[in-house]
Amino acid sequence: MPGEEAVYEQLKEAIIAGDREKTLKAVEAALEGGVSASDIIEKGMSPGMKEVGERFARYEIYLPEMMMAAEAWEGAMKVLEPKLVEGGKVAKKVGKVVLGTVAGDIHSIGKNIVGAMLKMSGFEVYDLGIDVPASHFVTKAEEVRADVIAASALMSTTMSQQKNIIDHLKARGVREKYAVLVGGGSTTEDWAKQIGADGYGKTAGDAAALALQAVARKEGK
Amino acid sequence: MISFSAIVDRALNGPICTEKEFDLNIFVPNLRKVLEKYKITYDPATPVPSDDALADRVWEAAMEFLLATGMFCLDTERRILFTREEIEGALATGPSGNIFGDGKDARIMPRRYPEDKTPPWISGCGAGPVSKEEYLINIVKTYAEDSLSDGITAPCLTNIDGRPLEANSPWGIEGAVRTILLTREGLRRAGRPGMPVVNEVASAIRAQEHIAGHRFGNPKVDYLEIGLVHELKVDLDALNKVAYGLSTGNLTFAENGVILGGFAGGPAGVAVVTAAYNPVDMLVLRGAAQHPFLVPFEKGTTSNRTVIWARSVAMQAISRHSPLPMVGSGYTSAGPLTEMSYYEFGAWIIANVVSGGSVEIGVPYRGTLVDYCGPVENIFGNGVANASAGMSRKEANKIVLALLEKYEDKIPDPPKGKPYLEYFDEKGLPNKECLALYRKMRKEFEDSFGFQFKKTSPFW
Repeated sequence: MPGEEAVYEQLKEAIIAGDREKTLKAVEAALEGGVSASDIIEKGMSPGMKEVGERFARYEIYLPEMMMAAEAWEGAMKVLEPKLVEGGKVAKKVGKVVLGTVAGDIHSIGKNIVGAMLKMSGFEVYDLGIDVPASHFVTKAEEVRADVIAASALMSTTMSQQKNIIDHLKARGVREKYAVLVGGGSTTEDWAKQIGADGYGKTAGDAAALALQAVARKEGK
Repeated sequence: MISFSAIVDRALNGPICTEKEFDLNIFVPNLRKVLEKYKITYDPATPVPSDDALADRVWEAAMEFLLATGMFCLDTERRILFTREEIEGALATGPSGNIFGDGKDARIMPRRYPEDKTPPWISGCGAGPVSKEEYLINIVKTYAEDSLSDGITAPCLTNIDGRPLEANSPWGIEGAVRTILLTREGLRRAGRPGMPVVNEVASAIRAQEHIAGHRFGNPKVDYLEIGLVHELKVDLDALNKVAYGLSTGNLTFAENGVILGGFAGGPAGVAVVTAAYNPVDMLVLRGAAQHPFLVPFEKGTTSNRTVIWARSVAMQAISRHSPLPMVGSGYTSAGPLTEMSYYEFGAWIIANVVSGGSVEIGVPYRGTLVDYCGPVENIFGNGVANASAGMSRKEANKIVLALLEKYEDKIPDPPKGKPYLEYFDEKGLPNKECLALYRKMRKEFEDSFGFQFKKTSPFW
């Protein structure tokens, strides 16, 4: 398609701008122009998400930009996923993560940042919100057949809920099915080891990397 | 000032909105608009600006932003909106001249201005987690023995008789009660029974735990620390605490911890939102002091250059326009018994004080390690805070830049320091190594920066 590079650049910029409307318009224009759904994603949108992640790592942009980019991405994927299926392809999903802030804890910013980074890394994220009872993490993970449970706790008095999640997994006999990642202000590597978690994320970026490693381990890579 | 009932009515009946709409469609665009309109930009070369015009623009931006944005009640998913007259009413009638503490430990919480010679009000100890009750008592006693300490921020028990202290459980209640009783015992041993306990109980998350702890402290002088949710959000639990505090007549520290990297974005946005919280702290939390605790979402340290700048600018803006005193809080990245923690405390405390604030001196290593508390580092912080009063912002900027050079590149991987048993001796007193470092760092600040410490420290 003539001017295909320009189309991909438009898609990339719309994602970086976190402009959902602009992204949808660019997607529609690309589809009308004969560009395949997979090319739209891989050559246009994905580079945009990559750039967002890199700018965030350099502290050039922050949580709002990440969330809006993720929104723009999700809006576009709602249009593109059926097209992929029509074309006999499936949207590449790296894995599924159930995410939340543990029971008794209402802090959400760190969780939101992790959620955005996981989405940008290709994960399907089920964000349960804040003050989430341990059992709910497990129930959701079972329901959606997640790969990873990621639990955030900011306070020393709510950290124990991260262990509670692992206790619930064991009680239901499903501990081995999920990688459990923990993070948040009061948590440490030692704490994660102590409770038998599969990973500790000191930073939001760590969470995405740990989740990718967990999925790779699961697939025996 | 409008009544608290009016605020509750708005929380229960205000315009409906989802949290996402509030965050991304209201908060963020409104903030960006004012940042552009008032041309507020971060200057990394000047962590402590001497720019009254910038401070005034930050204030104007904050008020315009608050008017357009209001607050969000998480439980009811409704907005709490204010008029300009209501904000101005709060500023005109806001608290000042409140006395914190009792008897010989009573002290007026001063309203301060940039470069103010008035000594700041100082609390410390810092809500770090401790595993044993005797540690808590000794840490509190150590800090309280310095006469520059005006208030205590109680450390945070991690367990009740070996059982993990779980929030929202009966152990949370017992933890709150026990923390206050132990803190009061520490103060009694230090000869400071009238000293106020600032944060009530760090481990207490919900109103019932706060109230339980408050009941067993010295209700006459202890005060509640009530926090909001990031950003500009409140829940009914916080309003419950306010309702209780209004009934008992206690003073409240209204805490806001604007997150750098969160919805407020970078340092410029953080400064504006911090300033916007000031009238909110009067209107919604009925605070007797604003307790800003700016923190980056990653690493959580408050001695970053970005946070120092945002804190300084916000405090200058607030102190020039609002009667509500500020008690800025901060931690360090490095652990106790490290030179780095001293440099970090020095940097953010100096910036805080010359910008018009009083201080709450927190724990080393961001309070993330159990039993890594630093009351002697806090006493050093007392001395720095006191000696910074009257310093010019220009001079402070030079010193802060010099200090940043000493530690800034180590923030990502700071030294851990040493825990309680390597800090205190068998009698529960700071050991020789601890005091040697304290004296060494005090001398360094005297020789390098001309600090004149008051000889109030029990370890002089």
